[in-house]
Amino acid sequence: MSIEHTHGHEHESHASHDEHHDHKPTGFLNRWLFTTNHKDIGTLYLVFALLMFFTGGAMAMVIRAELFMPGLQLVEPDFFNQMTTMHALIMVFGAVMPAWVGFANWQIPMMIGAPDMALPRMNNWSFWILPFAFTMLLSTLFMDSGGPAAGWTLYPPLSLQTGQSFAFVVFAVHMMGISSIMGSINVIATIMNMRAPGMTLLRMPLFVWTWLITAFLLIAVMPVLAGAVTMLLTDHFFGTSFFNAAGGGDPVMFQHIFWFFGHPEVYIMILPAFGVVSEIIPTFARKPLFGYTAMVYATASIAFLSFIVWAHHMFTVGMPLTGELYFMYATMLIAVPTGVKVFNWVSTMWQGSMTFETPMLFAIGFVVLFTIGGLSGLMLAITAADLQYHDTYFVVAHFHYVLVPGSVFALMAGAYYWLPKWTGHMYSEKWGKLHFWLSAISVNILFFPQHYLGLAGMPRRIPDYSTQFADFNMISSIGGFIFGASQLIFVGVIVHCVYKSRRAASGRVWEGARGLEWILPSPAPYHSFNTPPVIDASTVAHADAAH
Amino acid sequence: MAQPGRDEIGARRSRAVRTAWLLAAIAAVIFAGFILSGVLRS
Repeated sequence: MSIEHTHGHEHESHASHDEHHDHKPTGFLNRWLFTTNHKDIGTLYLVFALLMFFTGGAMAMVIRAELFMPGLQLVEPDFFNQMTTMHALIMVFGAVMPAWVGFANWQIPMMIGAPDMALPRMNNWSFWILPFAFTMLLSTLFMDSGGPAAGWTLYPPLSLQTGQSFAFVVFAVHMMGISSIMGSINVIATIMNMRAPGMTLLRMPLFVWTWLITAFLLIAVMPVLAGAVTMLLTDHFFGTSFFNAAGGGDPVMFQHIFWFFGHPEVYIMILPAFGVVSEIIPTFARKPLFGYTAMVYATASIAFLSFIVWAHHMFTVGMPLTGELYFMYATMLIAVPTGVKVFNWVSTMWQGSMTFETPMLFAIGFVVLFTIGGLSGLMLAITAADLQYHDTYFVVAHFHYVLVPGSVFALMAGAYYWLPKWTGHMYSEKWGKLHFWLSAISVNILFFPQHYLGLAGMPRRIPDYSTQFADFNMISSIGGFIFGASQLIFVGVIVHCVYKSRRAASGRVWEGARGLEWILPSPAPYHSFNTPPVIDASTVAHADAAH
Repeated sequence: MAQPGRDEIGARRSRAVRTAWLLAAIAAVIFAGFILSGVLRS
């Protein structure tokens, strides 16, 4: 249940003190181009991510339209490959990751009682690199040699067959990497140095913890990707042979390096989702999070394990049996801390006074559907079985379950949860719930049949297929179109909430919410916590976690 | 509990800059290390 028009809580004096310093810069350029304010930069990231979400989504619609029936319908095979590659690059680096950085910018300073991010000017730079990176990446679609078409993994030798536009792709990846690293440095520097007195590490909200660990992952692996694509660049344009077997290089080495980056990258996209869900479920179950410290250690364990399992993406490439066994067992170990998390979310809900507002619906949808993605991941971890599943639609179904009703649902959940805090208005529950139910139903119509397609042997990354796969592909495409159209409701809800909604949100917004952001008024003042807040049991959710 | 003033927050930002340089150096070493390993291997 939300609380509206009620401002009479104990920290009102603190909040109104902050409001006196609410001086926004004047003029569009001053406000948005030169901003160093964490809330403005958070908004920029979120708007950018939403634009990229629809850009990558439009490419997904092209893919699903082409696959609606067997035979070549709409696009040339090479353009189809460009679509699958660009869809992945844009969704991973342009939509999901920047969206999480947007959440981090908005929420982390407010959740730890800091006035802003530690390095505000670098924060501005981190964001403004991104539009240029993605303009450059998208521009390759209009070049003679076309965009990248070798898949987001950019495996050589195939990726080296990209024409001159490949230089643009590599430079765009470099810029995305620099942006991510600077953003991560800022998150770590902020959390380690800017916490309010009394906000010890084990009192921090789970969202802050998951982002701290995510930021360390990013700093460890983004330079690895940068190194890999730099070597691709020199192989393509400067005659080196890092990955060219004819020149003494090793193309399989690229796969090892890529997945040493790529597997932690998966967790970079999902750990903040764990954090958001761990904020939302206690609020709407009206119970403290079950096993807070276990959640923190489970997150750290998942992050550690993510570094030592990369070759499970390469079982079919060929490696010694002992290597295959090691990577199989290590991968399965990840199920343990992940299981701890799912158990704790369910235990938090157990016997809670639950209500089902839109954020909670998306959070519960996340728990159920992400778990399906986790279980199909366990199937893929079985080396012998993976020889059958590898490079089929089963893999496509698996990672889309983890990323769409996983990461994206958590992003939606978080957006609905904090939108009243950000805008000062309540969104429309009716339209929010319609958005959830249409998304939850259509995402299963979209991706569940792909499990069967994969098990029946349909390869991924093909524009045409055998007629035996026709029915499930048509069902999947219909689900895709409904899912795509449903997301327009989300835009409508946001626009309505920001510009039209007349229902003012209270400071705490949700009656079960605990945490420092909720002691601020809604909308959160432009400058908050210039004077650090008092940390006590009433203001933070985990005040007694360390005892 | 004592409340830090703006000077204290300024000092924290200075410490944050040192943290940032350390993390940037780690990222640079990882990048250079992978390139160097590729050079030595080929």
